[in-house]
Amino acid sequence: MKVIELHNVSKRYGEVQALSDVSLSVEPGEVMAFLGPNGAGKTTAIGIMLGLKTPSGGTVRLFGQNPESPQVRGRVGVMLQESGVPESLTTEELVRLFGCYYPYTLPVEEVLRRADLLEKRRAFVRQLSGGQRQRLYFALSIVGDPDLIFLDEPTVAMDVEARRAFWEQVRGFAALGKTILFSTHYLEEVDSIASRVVVLHQGQVLKSGTPAEIKSLVAAKTVRLKTELSVTAASQYPGVERAERENGHLVVYSNTPEVFLERLFREGHAVADLTVKDTDLEAAFVRLTA
Amino acid sequence: MIQQPEIVISNLPERRLSPTAQKSGHIAAMVLEQMKAEVSSYWRVPEFLVGTVIIPVLLFLMFGASVGGVLPQGTSVKALMMASFAAYGVVNLAIFTFGGDIAAERGQGWLRLMRATPIPPWVYLIGKFALVTLFGTAILLVVFVAGLLSGVRLGLEVWAKAFFTLLLGSLSFSTLGFALGFLARPRAASTIANLVFLPLSFVSGFFFPLNQLPQFVQHLAPYLPTYHFGQLVWSSIGTASDVARFTAQPTGDALGHVLWLLGGFMLFGVLAVYGYQRDRGQEMR
Repeated sequence: MKVIELHNVSKRYGEVQALSDVSLSVEPGEVMAFLGPNGAGKTTAIGIMLGLKTPSGGTVRLFGQNPESPQVRGRVGVMLQESGVPESLTTEELVRLFGCYYPYTLPVEEVLRRADLLEKRRAFVRQLSGGQRQRLYFALSIVGDPDLIFLDEPTVAMDVEARRAFWEQVRGFAALGKTILFSTHYLEEVDSIASRVVVLHQGQVLKSGTPAEIKSLVAAKTVRLKTELSVTAASQYPGVERAERENGHLVVYSNTPEVFLERLFREGHAVADLTVKDTDLEAAFVRLTA
Repeated sequence: MIQQPEIVISNLPERRLSPTAQKSGHIAAMVLEQMKAEVSSYWRVPEFLVGTVIIPVLLFLMFGASVGGVLPQGTSVKALMMASFAAYGVVNLAIFTFGGDIAAERGQGWLRLMRATPIPPWVYLIGKFALVTLFGTAILLVVFVAGLLSGVRLGLEVWAKAFFTLLLGSLSFSTLGFALGFLARPRAASTIANLVFLPLSFVSGFFFPLNQLPQFVQHLAPYLPTYHFGQLVWSSIGTASDVARFTAQPTGDALGHVLWLLGGFMLFGVLAVYGYQRDRGQEMR
């Protein structure tokens, strides 16, 4: 039995086609990532899977049933973007309250530990920082011991270190045999945890595959520099997925830019105006579809 | 053609429970925790306490406590004024809790998050009712104590009758609040509630006795559910003829006033259901 099944799901908002013909299925225990730039349709797709939005066409099944059925809701946890919670409750009170909503619950102590909130258990929600708040939402998503959790861009307000720690917590929960579907626009995040990646772009499934397959299509880092090295030569360097010339700069796409740069410096090439940045997914996908 | 009922076989796969998972989700526990959460979360907001509990008693102390006089059949005007400000207080609470807070929680996305959980929506509403009942009791106790201290003397059964009339009557305005909570834009709800409720209180005679207000206000009052609420409350304290003097209106039958409250409850209930469905529809769109 599939945990999630979408069949030709589409969604229109007036003139805007937010999703078109999305079909996918997720097996028990899978950790699946929705990867795509802002506006790709990730949040809409998650809303439809949760039964919070009605699709304009197609069918959705969670555990073989309508996502709005109470039995399904009882085994699904969720972390939405921008969900406010009562500000004058403490972290612990809110987690306990949410636990009551579900047919099964994990001990509050364990949930707080898994979300790294033990020290903040008596803090009011309004006193939490952005990152702590995200961890609280994570805690709420797991307190019902769900078989399936949805995490919609969970790390969006976190710095690099917080993100790393957060995925560690998610991994801990996934290890219980849970199915997880999360969305992100950080390519490196899919690598650390997902077993499968679905690339969404302009409401369509652009590619689906293992993180390694996706990363070979879209390299995580973009290196931009002035050098006399040619595009053809650069393409042969280790760790380089693709190279091109743009406005007099050499642009290299790589998942391991340090390997490329190390070789570049060792060979004594003249280098000026060097920048290394996360690849702009929007641009990368436009290139993929071209 | 006979339609075959669709047979749904509940064949959900086995749960993958964690070793530490415990049984939960008993409806009674859910209701209790929801009520506890509502009450403790609002109890901790001083602005909410001041706005709902302190303001009615302040208004009474400023405008009602120094009023003297006894009506022909012996009803104290001060006691009626105390009841007016208590009525203002509890209806205000109902409209703002059911209206303003629901609108705010809708705006924050708290309701959306709850919708994604198995909690039935009525449990959420029960939590709000618990909040209104408890804070309503607090408002009434504070206003009654202020009345007592400023010289209002009533028999024990009169105090009790006034208390329950006020508390039960205020709950009939819950649907007006719900309608507001689901129809108004979240940021506008409190303002709209004030715009609706302040004139309503004034025209119904909660701030000044109706016999001191212009004639057109006196003519308007009998068309407002809040006025009929006031009639029930004043009549729980004074005799019919004294209340008629106080309001410059014939007091009429209690049943008539109750029907007005029920009518308002149902009319706004229909609006509230419409608003709820419209909001849900907008979210689902």
